[in-house]
Amino acid sequence: SHAAIKIQPMRQFFSSGHTNNWAVLVCTSRFWFNYRHVANTLSVYRSVKRLGIPDSHIVLMLADDMACNHRNPKPATVFSHKNMELNVYGDDVEVDYRGYEVTVENFLRVLTGRLPPSTPRSKRLLSDDRSNILIYLTGHGGNGFLKFQDSEEISNVELADAFEQMWQKRRYNELLFIIDTCQGASMYERFYSPNLMALASSQVGEDSLSHQPDLAIGVHLMDRYTFYLLEFLEDIHPSSKANMNDLFKVCPKSQCVSTPGHRTDLFLRDPGSALITDFFGSVRKVEITMETINLTEPIHFVNEERQKETYSYVDQLPVSEIIHQKPKQKDWHPPDGFILGLWTLILLVFFKTYGMKHLKHIF
Amino acid sequence: MAAPLTLLLLVAVTVRAALYRSSLADLISERVEVVSPLTAWKRVVEGLALLDLGVSPYSGDVFHETPLIIYLFHFLVDYAEITFMLADVITAVALYLSVKDYNKQVFRKQKYALEADRYPLDCLELIRSPKEMQYIPLKVAMFYLLNPFTILSCVAKSTCGLNNAVIALFVLSTIKGNVLLSAIFLSLATYQSIYPLTLCAAALLYLLQRQYIPVNLRRFSFWWFVAQYAFMYLGSLFVIVGLSFFLLGSWDFLPSVYGFILSVPDLTPNIGLFWYFFAEMFEHFRLFFLCVFQINVFFYTVPLSIKLKEHPVFLIFMQLAVISIFKSYPTVGDIALYMAFLPVWSHLHRFLRNIFLVSCVLLACSALFPVLWHLWIYAGSANSNFYYAITLLFNVAQILLVSDYFYAFLRREHHLSHGLYLKRKDGSEATLVLK
Repeated sequence: SHAAIKIQPMRQFFSSGHTNNWAVLVCTSRFWFNYRHVANTLSVYRSVKRLGIPDSHIVLMLADDMACNHRNPKPATVFSHKNMELNVYGDDVEVDYRGYEVTVENFLRVLTGRLPPSTPRSKRLLSDDRSNILIYLTGHGGNGFLKFQDSEEISNVELADAFEQMWQKRRYNELLFIIDTCQGASMYERFYSPNLMALASSQVGEDSLSHQPDLAIGVHLMDRYTFYLLEFLEDIHPSSKANMNDLFKVCPKSQCVSTPGHRTDLFLRDPGSALITDFFGSVRKVEITMETINLTEPIHFVNEERQKETYSYVDQLPVSEIIHQKPKQKDWHPPDGFILGLWTLILLVFFKTYGMKHLKHIF
Repeated sequence: MAAPLTLLLLVAVTVRAALYRSSLADLISERVEVVSPLTAWKRVVEGLALLDLGVSPYSGDVFHETPLIIYLFHFLVDYAEITFMLADVITAVALYLSVKDYNKQVFRKQKYALEADRYPLDCLELIRSPKEMQYIPLKVAMFYLLNPFTILSCVAKSTCGLNNAVIALFVLSTIKGNVLLSAIFLSLATYQSIYPLTLCAAALLYLLQRQYIPVNLRRFSFWWFVAQYAFMYLGSLFVIVGLSFFLLGSWDFLPSVYGFILSVPDLTPNIGLFWYFFAEMFEHFRLFFLCVFQINVFFYTVPLSIKLKEHPVFLIFMQLAVISIFKSYPTVGDIALYMAFLPVWSHLHRFLRNIFLVSCVLLACSALFPVLWHLWIYAGSANSNFYYAITLLFNVAQILLVSDYFYAFLRREHHLSHGLYLKRKDGSEATLVLK
């Protein structure tokens, strides 16, 4: 057979070095008036799913349930565009952490993998050192912190340390961190682990603003940065060659009012060589080969081995051994010595009571 | 008298057989008032099944019967109903015969006392005549066989019926004067449940009386007889316990049977006094109160035997009543046994003071037991306090009954020696009070 393989320049194929994609999408706000944060997260969820990341590789954390909120005039929907143009809730949303499960502790445990053994797979970030992870956070934040559930906060130091733990445990190949909160840039100031790229919707001292309210629903539907991010991502398809430099241009100050920022100094590759689909999609690398490969001969069963008893499926289960067990043949009998002794005593008492003369008649 | 007795036996057997065939049998065999962890038939079957599987029946907390019961039911488990009906019949016949003999003795003693002019002249109406005593044995058998408590106990196949049969045979052999048989049946009864040990004193007193040995602690003949009886009793007890060891080859049954009776680990509600107390007892005090409660059963033997040393059969009745009230797992079968003796003392009715109250309370409590059980366990609107209240009331009524008969008996004896119309020193009318 022909063994010659045409060697093609492989650099483009394996330029990113990752084999699987993960996404951790977190909305940290509850209450109805924070509708937009849930819509933000769900729109990024929609995009990554559309671009190929399966639900098994997405950890979606929503701190409140807007779709089924009592104040939602359109139940089971979460809209991102006014006039109800786009329902980002859809039919196949899988929320992994919901409601009060979205806590700082759970988020950090998901990132570092230090979860109790009983945690189901859908709630774990099972990434390895060939995984590219997208982490998206949205909610209310400040200078150096992000508020979770209106009761606790995560600081930028904690986040940086979590990413360092992930790096030391080889839990990511490259990580893209996007945050859409007020003063979001403060959250990536403290990163120190390699292969991290970060984007934020506003600089320190600036507020991220919301986009547009829908008068029928009564709240603001999206934040500006994520709105324009969504519009940008809607143009991306799985074979798109758009790279990170295009992502940095999303939502300029004229549209966002705040100044989006990014950080690439820890990223080892050139951002221009990182494709959007390296993080937002789950593109499989396919190697096309022209040669035929000869598998070994198929296995033949020796004829004697075929004559096995045919077991039904049920019989192979251990239960059938128990229920088909024949009852033990031997029954319990009182020992002979006992019977002898007992009846001797009874007879003795009988004859003692009624006189020994009866004894003479027997013997 | 054989014909009415046979008729009575037939009626009783028919009633029991009819109830066995009905659907009530299952219902009754689960009632806690009728069966206890010691006597339940379910546990006997379980123990035999465990034995067939090759496991000791005393492993685990299921089976608390003696090995002789294992032996008995190993062959009779398919004929259990007939066995229990037969046990009831034996009890009734034994009580019948013993009461007949006792009546003869009572009448003979009365005749001697009359001839010796020992009775004051005004208490001639207290003298008993053969005519009134003629139907007493039949009434005793009837009281036992047709008592609803006995019928319930038999239908539930509670081994209490076998206990009662052994005790009745003991009473029969004692009254007939057969020392060996009395000792053997008493040891069998003690072997089954420890409490009949207290009947030893009564049996001794009766047999001493029958053999005309005066109860004088300084005389040798008294101690010789006591030693003989004790030897026979203890000897047969040891022989039976030894035989039980040989049945299963282990001493497992000692903690399972006697340890269970004495240490009361199972606190299933019953008509006794132990369960509620020990359910709420702190562990620290458990041993102390256990000893107190158990001593309570044995405690009345000595005072009662001192007071009633001339009347050992009444002592047997009192002792049986005390055992049934204060034992650790009483059932209605135990009550039926001592209630069967009540016709023997029907001549005391003019001195009984609380009989109306007692009978009302007993009837009411018997009716309320299933009601409050249902309310507690099934409806959930009552709690254990309600059930225990009825238990307490039931036991108080029994104690009142027994003490009433005690009072009436002693009063009659007092009248027989001091005349019917008692006068104080200044001549005004007096009455006797039980202090």
